[in-house]
Amino acid sequence: MKVFIVPPNSLILFDLVERYGHEPLSLMGAIHERIVNPEVESPPMNVTPEDVKKGLKYAGIEVPSGIRGRLAVWGPLIDQADAAVIMDDAPFEFGCVGCHRTDEMVRYYIKKRKIPSIVVRYPTNEEEAKLMVAKIKEFLEGLK
Amino acid sequence: MAKEFETRMIVISPSSPVTPDQVTRLVHSLGLKITVKETCYGAMIEGGKEEVHKALVAIRKLDPDRIFTKVRGFPIGDTRRCRAHHGSRPGFTQLEKEWECLKLVDKGVSAAERGEQVCERPRPGKLPVKRLREIVDEVSK
Repeated sequence: MKVFIVPPNSLILFDLVERYGHEPLSLMGAIHERIVNPEVESPPMNVTPEDVKKGLKYAGIEVPSGIRGRLAVWGPLIDQADAAVIMDDAPFEFGCVGCHRTDEMVRYYIKKRKIPSIVVRYPTNEEEAKLMVAKIKEFLEGLK
Repeated sequence: MAKEFETRMIVISPSSPVTPDQVTRLVHSLGLKITVKETCYGAMIEGGKEEVHKALVAIRKLDPDRIFTKVRGFPIGDTRRCRAHHGSRPGFTQLEKEWECLKLVDKGVSAAERGEQVCERPRPGKLPVKRLREIVDEVSK
C-alpha cells in the first residue's frame, strides 16, 4: 500500500514504512520525478509553472504562494495515498522547515480523505522511541 | 540518464559499529553497475532500481536495525546540491536532526523485532502557574 509520511522528507518514517512492507510516498520521490523530467528548468527551480496551477486545487488563490507551491507537490501524493503516518510534536528543525500552515493543510487533507492514519510523537528518549516504532509497526502491519 | 534510476542515501546510526567505508567497500565488492559515494553519515548509491535494491539488501545485512535508508531527489554530484559545486544543502538540518535521533530509533526497531511490549507514559506537563508563583515567592523571601 502507498503510505504518505508527514513530514514528507523524513528518513526515519521513510525507512520504517519501507521496512514494514509498504511503499512510502515522499517528497524526495516527487522531486526525483521532476529532476528526471527534462522539462525542468535551470536551478534552483523544483516547481514548474504547471505545478503552481495544480496547487490551486489544494489552496485558493488568496493563500500565500509558498503554501500553494508546497501543496502542488504534496497534494497529489496525498491523493494517491492509502494511509498516512504523521510525526507530531517534533523540534522545529525536523521536517520541511518553512510553513506551519502547509502542515496544517496537509493534515486537513489527510483527514478529509478519510484514509487510515496514525499520529506518533517525536521521541525524546529510548522508551518513547520504542513506543513510536511499535505503534508504527502495528499500524503498518494492520494495513495488510 | 535512464528514468528508472534511483539515488539512495544510506544513513548509519551513530550507535552502529559499521563505518561508511565498510558500506562503500561492500557495495564495490558486489560488482553491481551502481555508483557509490562515501559520505560522513554513510553513503549514497545510485543506479538502476533493481540493482540499487540488491545493494540495499546486502548493506542492511551489515547491521539490520541500525542502517537506515531513504531515496534522494537529486542525483549524486548534481550541481544544484553537490557541495563541490557550491550547491545549496537545504536538507542538511533535517538529516542532522534525524541522524541524532537514529540512536533512539534503532533501539525501537530492535525492540519491535524482539516483540517487546512497551506501555505509553504521559510526558511531564508544563509547570503550572500556581507552582511558578510559589517558587517566585520562595526565592524572593
